[in-house]
Amino acid sequence: MIRHRRIAAALVAVALLVAGCGSAGTPVDPAPVGAVRPPEPANVSGADKINAGAASANCDTRSLSPSSAITSGSTMAAIRQRGRLIAGVDQTTYLFGFLNPANGQLEGFDIEIVKQIADAIFGTWVGHVQWTTIPSSERENVLRSHAVDIVVRTYSITCARLNDVDFSSTYYVAGQRLLVPSNSPATSLADLGGKKVCAAKSSTSMAAIQQAPSKPVPVSVSNWSDCLVLLQQGQVEAISTDDVILAGMAKQDPNVQVVGARFTQENYGVGIPKGQDDMVRFVNSVLENVRGSGVWQQNYNAWVAPVLGPAGPPSVSYQ
Amino acid sequence: MTSTAVRPGAPSGPVPEAPAPEPAGEPGRSGLAGLLELPVTAWRSVTRSVRRSPGRLTAMGVGLVVLVVVFGVVGTFAVQSKSDTITDLADHREPLTAASQEIYRSLSDADAASANAFLVIGAEPPELRARYDLDIARAGAALAKAASDSEGYADAAAKVDVLSQNLPVYTGIIERARANNLQGFPVGASYLREASNLMRTVILPAAADLYNIDTGRLSAEQDDASGFPWFSAVLLVAVIAALVVTQVYLTRRTNRLLNVGLVVATGAMAVVLLWGAVALIIQSTLVSAGRDDGSHPVDILVRARSAAVQARADELITLVARGDGVTYEDDYKKLGPLLTGYLAQAHELMTGKAAEQIAIAQNTSNTWLQVHKDIRAKDDSGNYGDAVREAVDPTAPDGAAASFAKVDQALVTAIDIGRQNFLDSTSGAGDALTLLAPGVAVLSVIAAGGATIGIRDRLREYR
Repeated sequence: MIRHRRIAAALVAVALLVAGCGSAGTPVDPAPVGAVRPPEPANVSGADKINAGAASANCDTRSLSPSSAITSGSTMAAIRQRGRLIAGVDQTTYLFGFLNPANGQLEGFDIEIVKQIADAIFGTWVGHVQWTTIPSSERENVLRSHAVDIVVRTYSITCARLNDVDFSSTYYVAGQRLLVPSNSPATSLADLGGKKVCAAKSSTSMAAIQQAPSKPVPVSVSNWSDCLVLLQQGQVEAISTDDVILAGMAKQDPNVQVVGARFTQENYGVGIPKGQDDMVRFVNSVLENVRGSGVWQQNYNAWVAPVLGPAGPPSVSYQ
Repeated sequence: MTSTAVRPGAPSGPVPEAPAPEPAGEPGRSGLAGLLELPVTAWRSVTRSVRRSPGRLTAMGVGLVVLVVVFGVVGTFAVQSKSDTITDLADHREPLTAASQEIYRSLSDADAASANAFLVIGAEPPELRARYDLDIARAGAALAKAASDSEGYADAAAKVDVLSQNLPVYTGIIERARANNLQGFPVGASYLREASNLMRTVILPAAADLYNIDTGRLSAEQDDASGFPWFSAVLLVAVIAALVVTQVYLTRRTNRLLNVGLVVATGAMAVVLLWGAVALIIQSTLVSAGRDDGSHPVDILVRARSAAVQARADELITLVARGDGVTYEDDYKKLGPLLTGYLAQAHELMTGKAAEQIAIAQNTSNTWLQVHKDIRAKDDSGNYGDAVREAVDPTAPDGAAASFAKVDQALVTAIDIGRQNFLDSTSGAGDALTLLAPGVAVLSVIAAGGATIGIRDRLREYR
C-alpha cells in the first residue's frame, strides 16, 4: 500500500511537471493583422516615361502671328458649323480648371480662356462649349485623335510636345515649386532625396522630379488633386509642380504650404491639333485681345492674385 | 436465456470483463501472458460451443440483436443528422447566403449613391444621404452575420477580414470627400474617386468571393441533405436478410412455421424500410425542388441585381469623371449584356408571379439600356447638363434613375419569391422526416426485443 502511494505521488509530480512545461505557451492573437495597405487613388504608379521634355530645350517655341479672320473652309468655320467648341480641360485643379460643387459649373483661369475663344467664334460661349475633362497624360492623345478642338489645361509649351501638337502663344507663365506640409523642413527637391514626391503623369513637373540629382522617389497620378489626396493621407512627402497649381492646393488645405524658389519656367499655351495653323493664328488673336484688353488682368485678379500676389500678362513674340 | 448467456462460450461473456480480474486472480502467472492468451481461449470456447446447437442459437441470437442495435443507432443518427442538416439549411445557411449577397449589393449601391450625390449640384439631397446610410448600415450588419459564420472556413474568414478592415476605411474617405465638397474644394471629387477605387478593386471583389463561397456551401449542404444514406440502407437490408435467414434456419430445424418474436422483429424492420424509403424520397425531392425553384434561380437573380447596381454606379461615375471615365463606360458595356443574360436565364427557371416580375425587369432594363445610350450620346455631343439630368432625375418616369429603381424593385420581389419557394420546399423536406429518427430508434428496440424473445423461446426447448 505504501509503495503504491509513493508511486502515485511520483506520478502526480511528473504530471504536474509535464503540465507546467508544455501547456502555458503565449496568449494567442485572435485577429492578427499584418501591414495595412493605405487606400490609393486609381492609377497611381511610380516613375513615368519622360516625354514631356523641359521648356528650356533648344527649339523655337514661338507661335504663329495672330489672325482673327474666319474664312470659309477654315477650322473655325467648321467649328462654327458644328455649333460647339470641344475643349479639353481639367476639373480637379483649383483656380485653373475645377468643378465648383456649389453650382456644378467649371471655373478657373483656363476655363475663362476657353470662354474667350468660344466668344470669339460664336459671339457667346453660353451653349457653345462642350467641356471634356482629361487627365494630363491624355492631352496629346485627344489632340492627335481630334477628339477635342483645343486643350486648355495648364499645358506647358515644350519642344517635345511641339513634335505632336501645335501651341498658341503663351498666355500664362508659371514655374515649378514645391508643396509640403507646414511642419516639413524641405524647401527644394535637393532636400527630398529618397522621399516620395508626387506629380501628374506625363507632365513637365514629373520629368523635372525624375531628373533631379537628389533622386526623389517619383509618384505619378492621373489628376493633380490626386496628389493632394496622397499628401493629406501622408503617402507622399511633397508635391512638385507649377506654382499656380500648388497655390490652388494650398488654398484647399491650411496645413500645407508652397516653399522654395521657382526652378523651372512653364509657358502655358493652348494646345491645338498639329497642322491647324489657321486655328493657331485665330487663338493667338484671341489671346492678344485677352492680354491687351484687361480681360487677362481681371481674370488673374479673380483667381490667382489672392494667392500669388499681383502680376501682369506675359509679353509674347511670334515667328 | 440467462443460464446460457453466461456460459464461458458465450461471445458476450468474459471477453470485455476479462482483463481486470485476470492478473489479480492468477498471481503465479505474469499479467501480460494471461492477457495475450485471453482472446485465444475465448475464441476456442466460442468455436467449440457454436458447433453445438444451443451454442449456435445463442450466437445467432446475439448476432441478430447486435446487428439490430447497431442499425438502430446508425439509422437514428443518420436520419437525425439529415433532419438537422435540413433545419440548418433553412434556418442558417440560406439566410447567411442572403447576408453575403446583401453585403455585395449594399456596397455596390453605396458606391452608386455616393457618386450620384456628387452629380447633384449644391447640398446633398436627403434621400440620397439616407440611401447611402442605409446601405452602409445593412452591409455592416450583414458583415457581422457573415463573420459569425466564417469560423473554421479559412477562405471565407480571409474575405470577411478584408471586408471588415476596409469598410471603415471606405466610409472614412467618403466623409472626407463630403467635407471637402461642402467647402467647394475640388479635392473632394478626388477623394470620391479614391473611395470608389478602393470599393472596386478591394472591397467588392472580396464581397463577390464571399458570396461565391457561401453559395458553394449552400449547394454542398443541399447535396448533403438530398443524398441517399447508403450505409444505413445497406445495414437495414443486412438486418432484414439476417432475420429472414434465421427464420428459414429455425423453420428447418424445428419444423415450426412461425417464430412470433422474429416475425415481429422482421415486421418492425420492414416498417422502417418502407417509412424510411418514402420519407427520404419525399425529402430528397423537396430539397431538390428548393434548389431548382428556390436557391438556384435566386442565385441567378442576385447576380443580375449585382450587375444592375454596378452598371448604375458605372453610369454615374462616367458622368462624374466627365470625359475621363472611359474605363467605367467600358465596364457598363460589359455589364449590360451580362444583366440581360442573367434575366433571360432566370426567366426560364421561374414561373408564375416571379416570372412576371422578371419580365418587368427585362422590359425595364431594355428601356434603361436605351436611355443610357441617349445619355452617352448627349454627354458625348456636349450636352453634359442634359445628360446628368437624364441620369439622376428620379421624377422622369422612364429616366435612368426610375428605370434602375424599377429593375431593382422587380428583382427584389422575384428574389423574395424564390427565397420563399426555397423555404417552403426545404421546411417541407424537414417535415417529411418528422418522427422518423425516434421511429427508427423505437422500431429497432422492438426488433431487438423480438429477436431476443424469439431466440430465447427456441433455446428453452434445449432444457
